[in-house]
Amino acid sequence: MNRIFLLLDDKNKNKLIKETIINNQFEILDYAESFDNLVISINNYNPDIILIENSLINCEFLIRQIKSGILNQNIQIILLLSNSDNPLCINLVDGIIEGPIRENILLTTINSHSKIKKSLDRLSENNKELSRSLYQLNVLYNTSSRFAGTLNTKQLYDIMIEAMEKTLSFDISSLLLLNPQGNLVFNLNTLYIPSENLIDALKIRSVLNYRTILESPSIISEVKTDNISVIQKTKQQRASKVYGLEAISFDSLFAPIKVGESFFGVVELFRQTPFSPEDVTCFQAITHQVALPLRSAKLYEEISITNKKLEKLEKLKSEFVSIVSHELRTPLTPINNSLEIVLSEQAGPISPDAKNFISMAKRNIQRLSGIIEDLLDLSRIQAGKMDFQYSPIDIAPSLELLQKTFLQVANEKDIKITLDIKENLPQVYADTRRIEQIFSNLVSNSLKFTQNQGSIVVSASVVDETQIEADKLVFPIIQPKGRYIKISVSDNGIGIKKEDIPKIFDKFSQIESSLNRNKGGVGLGLTITKQLIDAHLGAIWVESVEKQGSVFNVIIPTLDKEKNFIMDLSHTLTNNEEVGVIKIKFKKQYNLIENLKQNKLLNITDSKKEFTMEDKDYINYYVFIPKISLDSFNAMILTINGYLSRIKQNEYDIILSNAHSTKNGVDVFKIIKILNS
Amino acid sequence: MKKILIVDDEKDIVETLSFMLKAKGFDCICAYDGETGLNLAKNENPDLVILDVMMPKINGYKICRLLKFDNKYKNIPIIMVTARSQDVDKEIGEETGADEYITKPFEFSLVLEKINKYLT
Repeated sequence: MNRIFLLLDDKNKNKLIKETIINNQFEILDYAESFDNLVISINNYNPDIILIENSLINCEFLIRQIKSGILNQNIQIILLLSNSDNPLCINLVDGIIEGPIRENILLTTINSHSKIKKSLDRLSENNKELSRSLYQLNVLYNTSSRFAGTLNTKQLYDIMIEAMEKTLSFDISSLLLLNPQGNLVFNLNTLYIPSENLIDALKIRSVLNYRTILESPSIISEVKTDNISVIQKTKQQRASKVYGLEAISFDSLFAPIKVGESFFGVVELFRQTPFSPEDVTCFQAITHQVALPLRSAKLYEEISITNKKLEKLEKLKSEFVSIVSHELRTPLTPINNSLEIVLSEQAGPISPDAKNFISMAKRNIQRLSGIIEDLLDLSRIQAGKMDFQYSPIDIAPSLELLQKTFLQVANEKDIKITLDIKENLPQVYADTRRIEQIFSNLVSNSLKFTQNQGSIVVSASVVDETQIEADKLVFPIIQPKGRYIKISVSDNGIGIKKEDIPKIFDKFSQIESSLNRNKGGVGLGLTITKQLIDAHLGAIWVESVEKQGSVFNVIIPTLDKEKNFIMDLSHTLTNNEEVGVIKIKFKKQYNLIENLKQNKLLNITDSKKEFTMEDKDYINYYVFIPKISLDSFNAMILTINGYLSRIKQNEYDIILSNAHSTKNGVDVFKIIKILNS
Repeated sequence: MKKILIVDDEKDIVETLSFMLKAKGFDCICAYDGETGLNLAKNENPDLVILDVMMPKINGYKICRLLKFDNKYKNIPIIMVTARSQDVDKEIGEETGADEYITKPFEFSLVLEKINKYLT
């Protein structure tokens, strides 16, 4: 029924209007005796149409008041003009009726305006719903991006509840979750303070829901509800309103939080006003949205834990290897000494047989020492603690020494080791001890896998990148560029299957693979060799034919002036990782220049033009020396965070790098290579 | 006859080493812990000290430093012996003023070589 509010000048005079309206099933309300509280009366009555007479005192003022926006804007105001004047307020009203009232005109006007009012109301309602949906969508959108931004389980739940509060304005939300410790936690968020009874009731209800979803009553029946920890938050603490048990009968929404097989808990919302179908959709969207990041968070937590365990394990392993190796060395000393004493007959003469066996024991002690040494080397390399003493060296003497070292063993097997070293090979920047270790490993391997009366050839020559087949290199850390010395160790031994070639560089590969197992050694030799070659910025590759023999090729970069060098100053560098800065300690700055000069890496004629960092005992920075202009050079002091981009921008002849830093020399070189490529 | 002091808590090492050194014509005195080692070094007037690093009571580095920073004893050559071959140990050894540094297990010939460098 349409409700009409009358604001008429003379009640009796307008009896016709009233009768007409009432006869036509309209409900009317006369204006109040006074105009005080007019807006309130109108508001209370909530009419569809207001009829106002022009002759009324303050008519325009009243219309302005009604239209001021306090009331429903859809209320239709129809002005009754008793005479032909044309007041200003005519523009403010929705309709007019001129002259003496005629029943049919009045009815038609009222009817049409009542229709307009209804349409407007529907439109407003739709608009409201639309804006509400839009708001919900907005919140959902924001929520989903917030969900994506965290892997913290608690934060995810907080975001979820917040989103539900915004979109669904619930009175109560109850959330039952299984925490990582395997305990159930009950989270209660309420607008007003809940009564104790209500909390218990909601808790039990959640547990029942939980049980239904989990379909595993046995688990829940073991959990007593008073064992569940309760986290309760109330928004309006001070409000006098309290939720009693009646809150259970509020309209509610319930959903499990789960994705696939992962089940996290149950959530239920209560609201005094009923939820709309849109609300249900929104609720489901949020619970669905939270489940995915929750699963990620769970996986992330699991991975973090596993990672920490692995890190610890790796550290333990390193320490274990190191400790074991050290402990093994100590008893070896007296064993070796005792054998030496007996063998040298200092403790009395022994028979030739005894001598033979003691020699055997002594040989095996040496082998054992070698294995321990290998293990130690490997753990040192892996920990980045290998000590390299680089300097410009000739490689030929090391190779010649090799021939002598293995002469006896080779003679025993009647294997001939020949050298084929080209004259005038350029120098390399290397650690002599490690170079000898590399090739001694390779030759000793060849000896192991070559039958009696075989032959081994060690050759060395200069090659450039065009003579290196990059795709053959085994796990290279470099892209060959420039000149290299290529050293090949070839034998006519048992050879290696093609598919086994990459495997032989794995740790303990001899133990795992079908390679001959009774050749001694634990299979660390090639792993170490590869790492040592990497440290020299070289590479290795293998050519082999089964039963015919193998060739191990190694390339080490030559000491060319145009090339970048990484100089390892490990013995003078210390590392302060706490502040993320590399600390370089030079006992005296001039040592560095002298060192560079001695190593022929610098050609400084004017010794007075000195390093910018002189007179300091130590320097807390990473140091780069940019392009040297022979008579002077500048030092770039860069912290660990800034140096990579600087390398990109400038070309350097020499980079001083801390071998013990988080990014050691080799890593830095790798990065430079990537940046320059 | 040159007198060599061997300080090492590994009795077997001390015994075999002193046996071999005696056979080479050296006089050997032995200590099995750091404290005794330091006392012998100060009182027995050895010509050379062979010093283990890891020992109970006073470790080798400390003895080395105490001797090398004392004008009375600083000229006694010290050979450090250790099973730890970490580079940092080597550095510490050098810092404390040891003259030589060898790692276990060592060949007797190497020890002899180092000794002869100082006692000929």
